[in-house]
Amino acid sequence: MNTDRHIATAFDRDLEGVQALVLRMGGLVEAAISDAATALETRDEALAEQVRAGDAAIDALEEQVNAECIRLIALRAPAASDLRTVMTVMKIAASLERCGDYAKNLAKRSMVLSQMHTIEGAAGSIRRMARQVGLLLKDALDAFIARDVDLAQSVRLQDRDIDQMYTALFREFLTHMLEDPRNITACMHLHFIAKNIERVGDHATTIAEQVIYLATGKLPADPRPKSESVIAGDI
Amino acid sequence: MKDLRLERDVRTETNKIEARGVQVYYGTNHALKDVDVDILDKTVTAFIGPSGCGKSTFLRCLNRMNDTVASAKVQGKITLEGEDIYDPRVDPVQLRAKIGMVFQKPNPFPKSIYDNVAYGPKIHGLTRNKAELDEVVESCLRKAALWNEVKDRLTAPGTGLSGGQQQRLCIARAIATSPEVLLMDEPCSALDPIATAQVEELIDELRSQFSVVIVTHSMQQAARVSQKTAFFHLGHLVEYGETGTIFTNPKDPRTESYITGRIG
Repeated sequence: MNTDRHIATAFDRDLEGVQALVLRMGGLVEAAISDAATALETRDEALAEQVRAGDAAIDALEEQVNAECIRLIALRAPAASDLRTVMTVMKIAASLERCGDYAKNLAKRSMVLSQMHTIEGAAGSIRRMARQVGLLLKDALDAFIARDVDLAQSVRLQDRDIDQMYTALFREFLTHMLEDPRNITACMHLHFIAKNIERVGDHATTIAEQVIYLATGKLPADPRPKSESVIAGDI
Repeated sequence: MKDLRLERDVRTETNKIEARGVQVYYGTNHALKDVDVDILDKTVTAFIGPSGCGKSTFLRCLNRMNDTVASAKVQGKITLEGEDIYDPRVDPVQLRAKIGMVFQKPNPFPKSIYDNVAYGPKIHGLTRNKAELDEVVESCLRKAALWNEVKDRLTAPGTGLSGGQQQRLCIARAIATSPEVLLMDEPCSALDPIATAQVEELIDELRSQFSVVIVTHSMQQAARVSQKTAFFHLGHLVEYGETGTIFTNPKDPRTESYITGRIG
């Protein structure tokens, strides 16, 4: 990667500006996921409400990133690694915006769940999974800042752990539902939460792959290892 | 949806010009160092690089324009369809009819529009009579997208046209001898954006018949008109490849520095 300064220093300022926005988005999303999971476990409706309301700020940041990237393309005609930086920034912003939506959804479902009886152990497992995925997202963004291909590769590999946690939770919820149909509503909500957290992991992987593209000019060619899928026959 | 790119996808993989180990010295100054390059037929090739990098020097080697510079010494081999253009038996004037050139500043002859275009075919004896000559003039002015603007005043002086029109007149003049290769040394740097766009459109049309080599300081122009790009730096050909690749993922860090506007 080229780290020399541009002759036009305003170009550097613009490029650094959009990257800073994306990192701010990343910070908000990491916090939203962690807070939403805490709200679920502690049945803290005020915290859940705060996460729900906070998503607007993440959406606004994405719009700002897009507007500034469009402006940068129009005014500076970026090429090579600069062009890849702009494209990557836009894709990362889109991924983070989705992750923000998942956190908001988690918060909304936690408000519903706080009115129901507890499913033994579920909230704790969700929080652990959310923490894991938050770390993954953080690694993906750290890899972006440092243009670190190795770290990005490790994110791709670690996403498998999230998938496995999801599969385990899926089975656990199914068992609860089979045991007592009164658990179904709560378990359906919990299952959607787990699924959404799993998707955050997928977005972290997408970000990691974009970082590899940014740093090398090529998307990783090797397919990432898939864990066993959840289909009814497995249970 | 119809893929518009296919209509002009006339690229071939045939080499028109092959250059091997080309060195140019201006006195003691080693201006071009060991350049190997294959220029494809029916393709626009752009030469980019900072001032003094050797791109214009190399362009001028391709039709032996450097012969006119007393201190210039050219070594190495350049062939046009397998024929060595520096062979002593080659007549440079005949060669330049086959390899036409358009310069940075429009330089029409102080003659009528008609005579500007007719000059080459006349001195090379390419036409047998006035009717044939008229035909060549009209077809070249049409190819240069100038016919409609000048057809009613062909006897008016070429120097009375606007800058953009003058440059298209020079292109019409360059293609009047039915060249195989058209060399353009910053053909748009004296033109406004509209005239530039017209010349660029013309270059893209001409590509179906000629091999075009263009030297440009505008990287955006290189990106817009060419299929192949060569980056020169300090007399070396640093990188040569498909234009899209050069502008999205160049291999050499010097190319990257140059095209992204960093100090290289």
